[in-house]
Amino acid sequence: MTQKNRLQSGGRIDRSKPLTFTYNGKKFKGFHGDTLASAMLANGIDIVSRSFKYSRPRGIVAAGAEEPNAVLQLGATEATQVPNVRATQQELFDGLVAGATNGWPNVDNDLMGYVGKVGGSMMPPGFYYKTFMYPQSLWHTYENMIRKAAGLGRSPLENDPDMYDKINQHCDVLVVGAGPAGLAAALTAARSGARVIIADEQAEFGGSLLSSKESLDGKAASAWVSDVVKELSGYEDVMLLPRSTVNGYHDHNFLTIHERRTDHIADKAPEGMVRQRLHRVRAKWVILATGAHERPLVYANNDVPGCMVANAVSTYINRYGVVPGNELVLMTTNDSGYQAALDWHDAGRKVAAIVDTRQNPQGDRVSAARQRGLNVITGSAVIEVSGSKRVTGVSIAPLSADGSRVNGSVTKMNADTVATSGGWSPVIHLSCHTGARPVWNEDVVGFLPGPTVQKQLTAGAINGSYSTSTALFEGLNAGLKALAELGMTAAEVSLPKAEEVKEGNPMTLFHIPHLKPTSKAPKQFVDYQTDVTAAGIEVACREGYESIEHVKRYTAMGFGTDQGKLGNINGMAIAAKALNQTIPETGTTIFRPNYTPVTFGAIAGRDCGELFDPKRYTAMHKWHVENGAKFEDVGQWKRPWYFPKAGESMQDALNRECLATRESVGILDASTLGKIDIQGKDAREFLGRVYTNAWAKLPVGKCRYGLMCGEDGMVFDDGVTSCLGENHFVMTTTSGGAARVYEWLELYHQTEWPEMEVYFNTVTDHWATMTISGPNSRKLLAELTDYDVSKENFGFMDWREMNVASVPARVFRISFTGELSFEINVQANYGLHVWEKLFEHGEKYNLTPYGTETMHILRAEKGFIIAGQDTDGSVHPYDLGMGWCVSPKKPFSFIGKRGMAREDCVRPDRKQLVGLKTVDPNVVLPEGAQGVFDPKAPIPMPMVGHITSSYWSACLGRSIAMGFVKGGLDKMGEKVYYPLADGRTVEAEICSPIFLDPKGERQNV
Amino acid sequence: MSDLNVAVAEEEVTTPKAVVMNQIPAADAGVRGESPLHHVELESLAKQGPRQGGIRFKENKLLGHLTLRCNPNNAELMASAANVLGVELPQTKLTAVEAGDVSVRWIAPDEWLILVPGEKAFEMETRFRDEMNGHHSLVNSSGGSTVYELSGENVVEMLKKCTPVDLHPKEFPVGKVVSTVFAKSSAVIRRKGDTEFELVVRRSFADYIWLWIQDASREFGLVVDA
Repeated sequence: MTQKNRLQSGGRIDRSKPLTFTYNGKKFKGFHGDTLASAMLANGIDIVSRSFKYSRPRGIVAAGAEEPNAVLQLGATEATQVPNVRATQQELFDGLVAGATNGWPNVDNDLMGYVGKVGGSMMPPGFYYKTFMYPQSLWHTYENMIRKAAGLGRSPLENDPDMYDKINQHCDVLVVGAGPAGLAAALTAARSGARVIIADEQAEFGGSLLSSKESLDGKAASAWVSDVVKELSGYEDVMLLPRSTVNGYHDHNFLTIHERRTDHIADKAPEGMVRQRLHRVRAKWVILATGAHERPLVYANNDVPGCMVANAVSTYINRYGVVPGNELVLMTTNDSGYQAALDWHDAGRKVAAIVDTRQNPQGDRVSAARQRGLNVITGSAVIEVSGSKRVTGVSIAPLSADGSRVNGSVTKMNADTVATSGGWSPVIHLSCHTGARPVWNEDVVGFLPGPTVQKQLTAGAINGSYSTSTALFEGLNAGLKALAELGMTAAEVSLPKAEEVKEGNPMTLFHIPHLKPTSKAPKQFVDYQTDVTAAGIEVACREGYESIEHVKRYTAMGFGTDQGKLGNINGMAIAAKALNQTIPETGTTIFRPNYTPVTFGAIAGRDCGELFDPKRYTAMHKWHVENGAKFEDVGQWKRPWYFPKAGESMQDALNRECLATRESVGILDASTLGKIDIQGKDAREFLGRVYTNAWAKLPVGKCRYGLMCGEDGMVFDDGVTSCLGENHFVMTTTSGGAARVYEWLELYHQTEWPEMEVYFNTVTDHWATMTISGPNSRKLLAELTDYDVSKENFGFMDWREMNVASVPARVFRISFTGELSFEINVQANYGLHVWEKLFEHGEKYNLTPYGTETMHILRAEKGFIIAGQDTDGSVHPYDLGMGWCVSPKKPFSFIGKRGMAREDCVRPDRKQLVGLKTVDPNVVLPEGAQGVFDPKAPIPMPMVGHITSSYWSACLGRSIAMGFVKGGLDKMGEKVYYPLADGRTVEAEICSPIFLDPKGERQNV
Repeated sequence: MSDLNVAVAEEEVTTPKAVVMNQIPAADAGVRGESPLHHVELESLAKQGPRQGGIRFKENKLLGHLTLRCNPNNAELMASAANVLGVELPQTKLTAVEAGDVSVRWIAPDEWLILVPGEKAFEMETRFRDEMNGHHSLVNSSGGSTVYELSGENVVEMLKKCTPVDLHPKEFPVGKVVSTVFAKSSAVIRRKGDTEFELVVRRSFADYIWLWIQDASREFGLVVDA
């Protein structure tokens, strides 16, 4: 197919670089410099999608971010599929493959269209809410159906081969938009030495200047643009970001920019290149020079392909050398719309008529049209378009002076293109992101950015200043203002002289009346993407929706991926009219980030795969890997879970590890335990206040277990703290609780007891910790040290300093297994050495490495709790049967003392932690199972507590469990029943949680 | 090498002092120290890897890391610390000083991170204990962290992908030090030259940060030195 709409010359495309692309399986040609949309128009492709609700054929309407219809599926391979790409913003590259996202069997011949024609009349606004709400359980089915019909594209089924990343940026001034205002602002700031970032969503800087024929200083405007870009590029502290959309404006002048680095080159990023980058910018000042979007007018059948916004027509002609039709009818409420007809005529194609809704338009462009002999029809409007897959003609009728009704007879005219201009809507999206409420301006006929709390300035069309000369002037001033605020001296910048174009006053008109009332007239679309019509908005208002936010949600106006850039203001105006209010009274909905859709890749950046989250390793990790450990995540730590041997099941491995430890000696890497060094003369007193038990008399050389509670008296962490010196302690915490405990100590020190002389330092990573546990652990240790580790010299709950395997160590005789145990701590750089030496000597004792699971079983056999597993923030020490660890007589109170004395905390029927033995010893209760006293009670059964820990104990040859039971501490020997999800009911007997060696003889040897 | 008796003896002095322990094995004991990156085998990477690239990486391992906390308004303590270190503690926020093989980083108004050669840590700890009279703490954290030296013409661009801190020379001149976010972990970052930075990272996060740096360096080329 030839490019039938391509001009022989003109535009910013390079005709010497032809490109081939595929659309819906057919090959087409375009040129370097084209967007996908301009290339499609050049090839005369009319239909680009089917509409959401009615399945009507739709064509390209706009030329930028506001495009609602040309939202395509891109990708030459499965892995590189990208849904929802606006063809107007996608640069053409050789080999590009695109397709329509909906329409079956294809957009040109859509069977759904017939369904839509029937279904449409049965789909009033609020249809989805009304129809799909009940029954709720079917929502998932409905959602699937709606999604398929909605044509929102599809995500790839294979992994994305490309790389995306994020980068942090800082600047004095971030300029958003590189049109005349943005360039003038950036130039002013940059020349004065400011750190500047200027970002623009388009491939080239220049904004409106790229698509107009105007001149600056008597030369083509593009010459000025390239001079400015050249100068900006020369400054070290200036960053130019083309193809970069500033998508989010967050608090404290933090903005996110989505840069597309290779989307214009190929389907997949070239090797080594990042496809898209998310810039996280912290700007001292932000200058919004985001321009304006032209508003189309709302008239009957205004969605037939060939209906476009006027400025887009000029853009396609001037920038891309494409005239998107043969015969144009232009409808406008203002002077700027005339430009499309002038450009169309100058390109050598027929302008059938210019239909101006104003009675007596006057202005330079109006005169220019008349001079060219164009047919200017005033005081009239295109009230309806005919055609289905392409415009074939228009109906023109005179309007009343206020534009509210048709005032005369209809004239029909042939045309294949209808361009409309209802004025301009400033692009205030980013200003809305920070919470600024837009303010209606009658003169501009649009909403302007509202008052802001950010360090934000605005320049150009965003302020309703649409002429190039005012845009330049405001840009310069914004730059100067930013410099002054930054305390910088401004360098001299002179602005180029723009052509002055005299303009007449625009008419405030949004909705073109029809001969029939809106509800009976052919559809007049407001929001193309969500198929919202003027009639639909009127229905919503009639049904009682008065708030514009409710009208929006009820009709779905602005809910598409375009966020209603094109239609929202028209919709508000129609709602205002229906509610008999002014537009300021009606107000507007606002926008949230992101301005245009951002790929998930750019949001994820490199925080995926191996780098998704830090993996923390101990000094012995390599050994664990080499010895076949299975790992468990404990916080961010990778801890050995168990060490299976060949052919072993998990339970086999656990049984072996448990028995080896109880019978000889096992070893655990306990390095992940939190460790906090505490120094100062008040260290001891401080411990007494944060732990529930007493610390006043702990001698140097001894260790003690402590419980830590919140103010509410509930246990939140536990651990052993050792007295190193009279003013020097080392506290251990749970692996997951280390950071929280450290912050807790600092919080209380800094806010409650700053007078106490104590310092805390985290030393978790500094020490490698290995626990040898079991009857042969002393023999093993003795082989590696000269120190006397006998019972007499090194008793239970003592710590000693000694060399272990020639490495200085602190060894703690504490036990979490109930066995004779030694916890060896060495500087972490020597941890692996000591670990390996222990194995060299441990072979004869069958030294067995075990992981967290065996540790859990061994401690459960002894009834030791794990904070966070057997506690959940709602249990105090007495609930745990650990009243022995609370010392209410301490002279100074301790955190949690009052909390655990509250009325509710001393009820006798609180859930209390007890041991549970299943009547059938072979049944292992699932953790989390809920107990009842009466298994025959009617549903809902009164639940009396859940299982917190449950294991098969190889040492005891039966299952063991710990769990909460209401009043359980007084119910020893009584039965609890656990009705399980699989229908079984398991009977268990309440017992002491200490299943093994209740007198503690094994550890006291 | 002290034993517990020494610690007990401490109780006799009027102001009890912290317990100091030489944590390094004797030089002749034949014990190798393993840095947190030992599993990466940087030496062989340095031999086999590229020699050209925009980023250079080197681990400065097995140093003595000492964290000092004391009141900066206590002139006597500050003088004692200066005496031990041979240089005044930096009191200007976010700055660092160096004197010979000792470097000191301001971490917080009452906290400094001191790096010395590994074998000197115990001697310095002992001198601090002997010469500081008053409330302070000195904690040996040598096993808990390691040092990465990063340099090369693209080092700033690479670091911008790692940390939200502003690295522009106006905001981050040579000599500045910050404790901050590094990817999803943290680091103490010091600028040693226009294109030279030092990171002090925690042992358990060392591998993650190394992986992150490798990844962020991909587009510039990474040279490993050992």
